[in-house]
Amino acid sequence: MIADCEVIDFHGHVGRWDALDMADDPDRMLFAMDRAGIDRACLFNIFHPDGRRGHDLTAAFVTRHPDRFIGFAYASPLWPDDPVPELERAIDELGFRAIKIYPPYTSYNLDDPVWDPIYRFADTRGLALISHTGSEATCPPRLFANVAARFPNAHFVIGHSGNIEPHRSEAIAVARAHRNVYLETCSTFRAPGVIEKLVAGAGAARVLFGSDIPLMDPRPQLGKILTADIGHDDKRQILGNNARRLLHL
Amino acid sequence: MPSLDFHPTVPVFDANIGVGHRHDRVAPFAGPAELSAQMKAQGVDRALVYHVQGETISAIDGNNALLAWIGDHDGFTPQWMANPNQACLAQLQTLRQEGRLSSVRLHSTTDSHLSFSDWIYGDLLDWLADADIPLWVSLADTPADQIAATLGQYPQLRTVLVGAHYMHAMAVRPLLRRLPNAHIELSRYEKLGGVEELRDEFGAERLLYGSYYPRYAMGPILYYLHTADFSTDELAAVCAGNIERILLKAIA
Repeated sequence: MIADCEVIDFHGHVGRWDALDMADDPDRMLFAMDRAGIDRACLFNIFHPDGRRGHDLTAAFVTRHPDRFIGFAYASPLWPDDPVPELERAIDELGFRAIKIYPPYTSYNLDDPVWDPIYRFADTRGLALISHTGSEATCPPRLFANVAARFPNAHFVIGHSGNIEPHRSEAIAVARAHRNVYLETCSTFRAPGVIEKLVAGAGAARVLFGSDIPLMDPRPQLGKILTADIGHDDKRQILGNNARRLLHL
Repeated sequence: MPSLDFHPTVPVFDANIGVGHRHDRVAPFAGPAELSAQMKAQGVDRALVYHVQGETISAIDGNNALLAWIGDHDGFTPQWMANPNQACLAQLQTLRQEGRLSSVRLHSTTDSHLSFSDWIYGDLLDWLADADIPLWVSLADTPADQIAATLGQYPQLRTVLVGAHYMHAMAVRPLLRRLPNAHIELSRYEKLGGVEELRDEFGAERLLYGSYYPRYAMGPILYYLHTADFSTDELAAVCAGNIERILLKAIA
């Protein structure tokens, strides 16, 4: 819907968050995506620690508009059982394309070995795995340096690119040091020059557009990319080409 | 159809730009020339500017610094900071007498550890209401419940609520219902479909474009507004017409 550029939103949610008036209304999501110029959005449900319920909800949501939404699995060390069988179901049966983790909903730092079965699954399958990152104790981006080298076939996506400084600079440093680390752009902290900094630091081939839909409207987040002082080729990579490559679309 | 390049299609008047250094933060641009260049690059024609030193340490010092900062540069309309200090009120009254005051912005009550209550801010609010001077209040710097309780006692006072965030999603519409003379600046309001929702309930005349630069970039919200389901007239009003009307009324 943007001329000569497929736009894939790498960061979106299924579910409700009532205190923030967030709801996964597909009509409202598609309306905003259409107005913005977003072709497809990747969605995950992080609100159910058992995995299966969230996966079923994500699958039901995506199935209604399979040409517009892409399902991601959600995995957590809070799951009572071995996560691998449910991840296999999510990827092999439900057709999900990547994995999301959300360390702040646990007490485990993202480089704690308790996450290893999930990382090992992504590594074995060559999957992308996106994590929330930021100032929370469990997930400053620098911890990815301890993970990326141990699982070289997984593609680690630093959600929000650390959100704020100094975590944003940490995220860039980890991406520079590890070829399997990527930076995702959605953040309510829309500081001037942030996209230019990510591109200068890690290269456009390692930056992925995300919006946090429906928690946030995707239009300002897409506007961050379109109004950044970078070239068209860089914008095309960030907006869609990198995601298509990572997700094998 | 959107393209990889975006430029505004209507005149743009930014309702929310902070300039200068703050005690705990150095400005990312040196002066008016650098800010003008950034505005030009993003298609912003004019800006309402306040001095960030007035947010916490001293409104009086911030206002004095703003005079020096603007100098004789075009494109900037000064906005004066206010706190409940009587010397600050006297400074604002002098600026008013000199014909240089078209709006006032409340300091950060949170950083100042003051409750935004009528028994603390009553003299300021009484004067603003009597003089029909619009007051900008930041939801990032003053709790929404205090805004509702205190400004609810001044229904005739025209206000602009700035910095509403998705964390305020449950508060914004009740605030606008409670404060019929309140407008909302949209720099941080990223609720899904939020601007159309506000337009539908309150009308485009109560919405203002602002960036909150340099905390936030100028362009992303402009893109949001240009891709909103607005008529051309509504877009023009939100991007510039509404703030022009608000400021002109105060000067008139």
